[in-house]
Order: sequence, then C-alpha cells, then structure tokens
Amino acid sequence: MVDSKQGVSSPKQSSEVGAKISRLLQNQSILLVITLVILGLFFQWGSNGIFLGLGTLGTVLTDWGSYILLAVAQTFVVITGGIDLSVGSVVSLSSVIAGWVLVNGMHADASITGSAANGYLLIATLVSVAVGMIVGLVNAFLINVFKIVPFIATLATMGAAAGLAIIISGGMPLQGPDNHDLGIDWVVGGVELPMSTTVLVVLIVTVIAGLFLHKSRFGLYTFSLGSNAFATRAAGINVERHITKVYVLSGALAGLAGAYAYIRLGAGSPSNGMGMELYAIAATVIGGASLMGGVGRILGVALGTLVLFTVQSGLLMMQVFQVSPDWKQVIVAILIAAAVAVQTFQNKNGRK
Amino acid sequence: MTGEVIYEIKNASKRYGSVVALDGASLKIHAGEVVGLVGDNGAGKSTLVKVLSGAHQPDGGQMFLEGKEVRWESPRQALEAGVETLYQDSGLSPHLTVSQNVFLGREITHKGILGWFGFLNKKKMEHDAHRDLEAVGIAVPASNRAVSQLSGGQRQAVAIGRAVAWAQKVIILDEPTNHLGARQAGEVLNIIRNAKAKGLGVIFISHTLPHVLEVTDRIVVLRLGRIVKDAPTSEFNGDTLIGTITGTIQTIKVEGD
Repeated sequence: MVDSKQGVSSPKQSSEVGAKISRLLQNQSILLVITLVILGLFFQWGSNGIFLGLGTLGTVLTDWGSYILLAVAQTFVVITGGIDLSVGSVVSLSSVIAGWVLVNGMHADASITGSAANGYLLIATLVSVAVGMIVGLVNAFLINVFKIVPFIATLATMGAAAGLAIIISGGMPLQGPDNHDLGIDWVVGGVELPMSTTVLVVLIVTVIAGLFLHKSRFGLYTFSLGSNAFATRAAGINVERHITKVYVLSGALAGLAGAYAYIRLGAGSPSNGMGMELYAIAATVIGGASLMGGVGRILGVALGTLVLFTVQSGLLMMQVFQVSPDWKQVIVAILIAAAVAVQTFQNKNGRK
Repeated sequence: MTGEVIYEIKNASKRYGSVVALDGASLKIHAGEVVGLVGDNGAGKSTLVKVLSGAHQPDGGQMFLEGKEVRWESPRQALEAGVETLYQDSGLSPHLTVSQNVFLGREITHKGILGWFGFLNKKKMEHDAHRDLEAVGIAVPASNRAVSQLSGGQRQAVAIGRAVAWAQKVIILDEPTNHLGARQAGEVLNIIRNAKAKGLGVIFISHTLPHVLEVTDRIVVLRLGRIVKDAPTSEFNGDTLIGTITGTIQTIKVEGD
C-alpha cells in the first residue's frame, strides 16, 4: 500500500468553526456572492435606494448579455491554458457581416418591423455564429499547425477581424430591420419585465455550457489539457482536435454575442465589440479561472461577470457622493488584482 | 518463468535535428519478464520509451507486438493495443481527481439521449478506480480527491496503478521509483512483481541501480543511442553495471540482432 496513511487523516485545525470558515473562503463562488451582496448594499445606499430593483436587473442583464457569452467562451479557452483575444473583434465582424447580408444580400431595411423581422434576425444570428466559428477555426489552425502561442495567434486574428469589420462596413453601421417592437422584450400588462428573449437565450446557453464543462467528456478533456497537456496526449486524447473544438466553440459564442449586439443595437457596426475581450478576460479571472489553465467554473465566471456589471451600473447611479464613471476602469482593475490575490492565497492554503 | 516474445523493436533510429537519440536499437520483451533499461542521461532511454509508447514515431526500424508488425501513429493506438506507459514525472493531470486520471481517455458515461450528451458517470468511475487501484495493490485515500492534493508518493502510486490496471500486454515504467522513500519504492517493486506474475511484459527504466538489480530478469544498457549490452540480470553486479553504463567496461555488440 503505497503511502496510504499520509494525508488521509484530516489536517489538524485549531477550531471547527475556523475550519468551516476557511473552507467557505476556499470557494470562489461564495466569495463572489458575498462581494455581490456588499456591492449591492453599497450602491443601494449610494443611489438613495434606487439601485436594487427589477429595473436595474433588467438593464444589467440586457446591457451585459453579450459579455456573459464572451466570458463563458473565454472560460473554456482559459481552462485549456490558452487565451482568446479575438472575441471582441469577432463581435464587431460578425455583427457587421450579419448586417451586410441583411442589407446588401436581402435588401432588408428599417421598414421591416415587428414579427416580420424575426426571420431576418434568425438569419443574422446564423450568419454571425458561422463567422465566429470561421475565426475560431483560423485561431486553432494557427495554434495547431504553426505552433503559435494562443496569445499571439488570437492577437493576429483580433487585428484582422477588426480590420475586416471596418472594410466591409466602410466604417459605417449597417442597419437592417428595425430592432424595436420585436417582441424580444417581455411586457406583461404594460410593464416591462427584467427579461427578454435575448437574455433568456444567454441564460440557457450559460447553463448548457456549465453542464458541458463540468459534466461531459468534452469538459473533462478541457481541464486535463490545461492541467497537463502531455499527460492528456499520453492518455490517448487527440489534443489538437480538442484545441480546435475549444476555439471554434469560443468563436461560435462570440458570434452569438455579435448577433446579440446586432439585435439589441439594431446595427452591425465595427465598434460593436471594441474592447469587449478585456472585460471577458477580466470576468473570467474574477470568476476564479486561472490563466495557467486547469481551473475554472462557469458559475464563478457568471458571478464574476455580474460583479463587473454591478460596479459599472452602480457607479452611474451614485447620488450620495458623485463618482465619475471614469473610475470604473480603476475599480475593475482593483477587482482583477484582488481576484488573483485571493486565488494565490487559496492555492497556498489548499495544497501545501 | 518467461514466455513468448510479446513486444519487439528492431533497429530503431530517431534523430532530433542533428542529435542522434537512437541509433539502431533492438530490444525484445517476453511475457512475464521484467526488462531493466538503464543508461546515463542522454543515452536515449526516454526516446526509446516514447517510441515504444507511440508518443514519437521512429525515423527507421520496425516494431512487433505478439509477432505482428505495428506502427503507432499516436499513443492512443498503443494504448488500445495493450501497451501502457508511465511517463517520468508527467503522467497525471494535477487538477483532475484520482478517478478522472485513472479513467482519462476511457471515461464511463451515462447513456444520454440517442448517445449524445452522455454525461460522465462520476460515481461509477470513482468506485471502479478505487477497486482497480486496490486490486493492483494501491490504497489511495479517496478517488474524488484532486491529484494536486496528494503527496508525491501517492501521485506516483496512482500513476503506476493506472498503468498496471489498464495494461493488457506490456507496461513501460519510466523512473517509477523516482522521488520515493525506501518503503514506497519497495512497494512499487512489489507492484512490478505482481504485473510480471500476471504475465505482462514489463520494461523498467531507472537510475536507481539496486532497484534494477533487484527486480529485473534481464538488463539492457543504452549508451549514446545504442544498445551496448543485453544480458540476464544474474550476469551483473553493482560495479559491472555501472562500468557498462559509463563505458569503463568494454562491451561487445550483442549477437543475434
């Protein structure tokens, strides 16, 4: 029996309560919920009691839905030990191409409204996702065939996609069907609910992604790849094929975020996704994923994204004392640093 | 007692750029035999292991498993044919649990809908991993623990246990007693004896020569990518083995290859 005794007995702890607290603090999701509660109460006080409400929730979810998709996509990539910088540009490019297909390909314009527009928007969504998958394939190709590190490979496609978005659109937004009155916002008895079809799609995709990551073989290989690529290959897993799947998935979700942006903003514009990749990576890290690979949870990342949204929206509503919204970048930076510090602390205590 | 030749590599060569890592190496392993593979750093042991396990493709030479010529395009093919390998220091994914590591690449899933979305059967894998490791002679605290939380000895035990539990024909162990204390190393040697008793062909690579002398039936010495000596363990003692490895004892090329 090789070394069976060592480590079996529970580590000596000074008190049971202390042990329980330290175990709770090991859990990134619980820390994030605590952070959310504190932020919520703080902004409720700072906004003179208007922050916490269905209105804010609806705005937050609607404004930030596409960011959740990008953060979920980034989680898969980051767990493999990679990074996908191209997702923001994919949002721009896919929404521009979707707009181009509708405007120039199908001659759809703002005269198309209501449910008549739904078919067009579905087409826009499919086109958008396809564009994202193609960029994902290019990323995987650069990483697998040319052995370019993901940071550089996706930096290249980030630039290329952003450039193409400007070229195709001519720098102008492509509008297509009217985005108002599509029935995507849910209204009951004249009251707008904090929910819409687009937000529902985002939530469903997030839940499916979570199941996929934590319960399926695909997810297991994703963790294993980021944990020890050599061992993963030695276990007979086709590492290149898996990397391809992960980057195509990331591209597809970024394309879906592009469709989301197109539908919500009513236009495909080359500025739709500008800078979004940094928020996606920030949400992923705040949510507890490690850029070293092998660690991450969809629940944590979803909560991490919510923390980001809460800070952004909360600052805008501050009344007790005025805070320039420009402070949001500084606060996001502090959150990232804090998240990484917490991770380091957890690692130190978790595995001696 | 040893049986038929189960695994054979003939005249294998491998270069990395201008470096000749393997230069016409030939080796036979019999069923129920423990072959020790020794050599100085850079002698080509790890390269030979990677060729035998399918991780690398040789530039030249042939391989035979149970008399049939084989060519591994990937480690998967070697695994499926019954050749298991424990790689030096890098066999496990530390963030995964014991059972996830034991079943990596061979997961058990629930049926799912039409064969799709078959989620992993975590309970069954945890149960089976525990049972299989125990059968090999390894007791691991809990199969739902992350490997990163295990001690070095426990990790090594899991890696060896996985290899022995899955091996059908041949098992290749690259430095399995590295970083282990004397007692733990003794247990690993027992696991090797059990694998031999099961009729597996065992290739044991080690720098710890007393372990090699203790557990092997035959010793193969590599120097600068060539096999310079292939003889029964009884023909060696500590001094002659070191002399052969470092080249202070002259060797004649083995006959019959």
